[in-house]
Amino acid sequence: MNQGTVDEGRKGSGRCGLFADYHTDPAFFDEMFDPDGVPRAHCTELWSALKDTAPGDMTQMQERAERSFLHEGITFSVYGEESAQERIIPIDIIPRLVSAEDWDFLERGLRQRLKALNRFLSDIYGAGRILADGVVPVDLVRGCPQYRVEMRGVEVPFGTYVSVCGTDIVRTRDGFMVLEDNLRVPSGVSYMLANRQAVKTSLRDLFRRHRVRSIEHYGALLRQTLAELAPPGVSNPTIVLLTPGVYNSAFYEHMFLAQEMGVELVQGSDLLVHNGFVHMRTTDGPRRVDVIYRRIDDDFMDPLAFRPDSQLGTPGLFHAYRLGNVAMANAPGTGVADDKSVYAYVPDIVRYYLSEEPLLANVETHLCRDPKGLEYTLDNLDRLVVKMVGESGGYGMLVGPHATPAERAAYAEEIRKDPANFISQPTLDLSCAPCLSDDGAAPRHVDLRPFVLHSRETRLVPGAFCRVALKPGSLVVNSSQGGGGKDLWVLSS
Amino acid sequence: MLSRSAQGLYWIGRYLERAQHGCRLLTDQFETLKDRSVEEIELSWRRLYAAVHRVPLGGGLGSNLGDDQFMLADAFTLAHDLTFESNNPDAIRSCLGTARENARQVRNTINDELWACLNVPFLEMRDVGIEDIWKDRPGEFYLRTEKAIETFSGIADSTMYRDERWHFLQLGRFVERTQLLAALIDAQLASFPSGEQPYSSDWLSLLRIFGARGAYGRLFSLEIRPALVIDFLVTDPLLSRSVRFGLEMILKALDVISGGRPLAVEAGRRAGRMASSIDYDWPNYDLEDEDTTRTVLQEIRQSCLLLHHDIRAAYFDYEIEDIPRL
Repeated sequence: MNQGTVDEGRKGSGRCGLFADYHTDPAFFDEMFDPDGVPRAHCTELWSALKDTAPGDMTQMQERAERSFLHEGITFSVYGEESAQERIIPIDIIPRLVSAEDWDFLERGLRQRLKALNRFLSDIYGAGRILADGVVPVDLVRGCPQYRVEMRGVEVPFGTYVSVCGTDIVRTRDGFMVLEDNLRVPSGVSYMLANRQAVKTSLRDLFRRHRVRSIEHYGALLRQTLAELAPPGVSNPTIVLLTPGVYNSAFYEHMFLAQEMGVELVQGSDLLVHNGFVHMRTTDGPRRVDVIYRRIDDDFMDPLAFRPDSQLGTPGLFHAYRLGNVAMANAPGTGVADDKSVYAYVPDIVRYYLSEEPLLANVETHLCRDPKGLEYTLDNLDRLVVKMVGESGGYGMLVGPHATPAERAAYAEEIRKDPANFISQPTLDLSCAPCLSDDGAAPRHVDLRPFVLHSRETRLVPGAFCRVALKPGSLVVNSSQGGGGKDLWVLSS
Repeated sequence: MLSRSAQGLYWIGRYLERAQHGCRLLTDQFETLKDRSVEEIELSWRRLYAAVHRVPLGGGLGSNLGDDQFMLADAFTLAHDLTFESNNPDAIRSCLGTARENARQVRNTINDELWACLNVPFLEMRDVGIEDIWKDRPGEFYLRTEKAIETFSGIADSTMYRDERWHFLQLGRFVERTQLLAALIDAQLASFPSGEQPYSSDWLSLLRIFGARGAYGRLFSLEIRPALVIDFLVTDPLLSRSVRFGLEMILKALDVISGGRPLAVEAGRRAGRMASSIDYDWPNYDLEDEDTTRTVLQEIRQSCLLLHHDIRAAYFDYEIEDIPRL
């Protein structure tokens, strides 16, 4: 690969100290350095402070932060792994900086997108205008496994199907793009907060000098968002967080958010439905529940309505929900809007409901359900990333350029068997940010996942869980596949 | 509070108490191993195993009296069994692991400091085996572990808001303690058939396990009189490891938790009866006729079990008959 090293001769060159061996690659946008290797304006201060820091000191800070994650139990579990049930998400101690202008743009784009997606959900579970108008194919929506026919005609407060959304955003040389919308039970916000805590402690002075915008009120915003969803007439709603339990990979986060909001963390077995109302079992007898922040998939929440073999849910929960006696965030059936095929239509969805051009771009997506898309995908398998429509978290995907011919051939076979289950996208030139490596700072690929809340109004904290592909050259940032995290500093204007 | 959270806290209390009790027993056992005769060591192991209701792996206890080498080999195996054996749910590491797992499930109900002082010792002990602690002085290991549990209790004491959470933690702790102490005294009596004089060192070690050596010396005399020792360990209301003290703490916790709810009354009544039986029916201990004493001790143990069921039925697994209508 063509490696343009930072020019040592130029005035203001960034290649010194901790960054002495930092090689930017012109194929990727670098978050800290411009193409000439000069630190970007909003990164100058961070760069100049870090360049004189001994790599050993940085490593030590990083190790200390990770040890405290382990001790505090800030861990997640990887499914299918016998050993090391609880693992930490490694942290890279060098923060990623986002300028005030960039954040302002992202925020407007995120608000726009969530507004349109909520309108879309209201529409497809209601009148179905967008389907009748042929903007989104009917069979694509109705045939999607995440489409819940049970939700037809259910009134949701403020038309809010999605109250918590965790959008994956990448930055390429062409700007910011949405990779995935994550509208079901997005996780990662606790790592955003934990990483902030760790980095703030380690780089105290730098943090103070940067006037980083605060994200600590996320719990309060979430609580407010949930409280607003309460059924009519309930002034002081009882909110609970429903978790599948301690074996869920995001259990730490469930616990953390319940603690932050000061609400009970319940499992399906703690709830019972009586006369159409939901109650939780307390030491004082059953107590009525008004709002459920649900961190359990649609499929598992109620064995009477959805998967009958679910041991995690509460029988009758969906019935109580339909009656309007309990509010739920997110509403069941939101998965249809973050389906990887429906994703391709989101720009049209934005235009359709808001009559605006989408601010945030989509990644070019080929649907294998279309003969053209299938043909293109099969012909270009060595250049594409192919994903299964129903999978998430980086499972079941083929990264064409990194796969062997045999792997590609086998995957092609799978695609042919069930084309509708696959989509393909070009390999993305995810931007790079400096990360601590054995040889000082080195570029690694990053993305970001901000969390947008919505009920009466849309709210978000200026921050995101920034994921890093820790392996040199790797583009896979998923925590389950060896990714790590970074603190993300949104700067004040 | 949520029943499952209350139950989690209750079990944290129980398992930590059990782990701590195990540490105290083994600390004492390693004292014994230092300089006592093989007969005494053997008796001491017997008492220990009887007190925790366990049969060593592979069957009965040693028949290698008189052979020091065997006694030490036994000690290694037995200590492993009580500390690290993964099939033994009451082994110290198992108890700590269970307490920690319960804490993980109800972590939103305890503060981060408290969690960390349970999680860190657990992580430290996770990959340690008997071989590792044997090289170093094994007694130190048990002291260190006990101290870690004490630290948890201390931090809980100084940081927890005194609502139900605290009282369920206390309840678990003292139900377990009362039961374990009654079992230990009973085992002490059972280890020495009637009429046979135990070694006075065994009584001393019993006092040590109860943390009562100093108080006994100050209150009575330096001379160890078994009748007095037993009386003291069972009835003294000021000794934090006496049976009576444990019952007092149970009563206090139940009083706050129950708030006069009808379902909860049974647990309070039972604990009250247990306390009264010590206050009014406790026999004057007679070495020649210890059956009455043992009966009372066994009743206390049995009542602790029933008390546990009462608590469960009142707060954790109650029948839902009447749901309040809003």
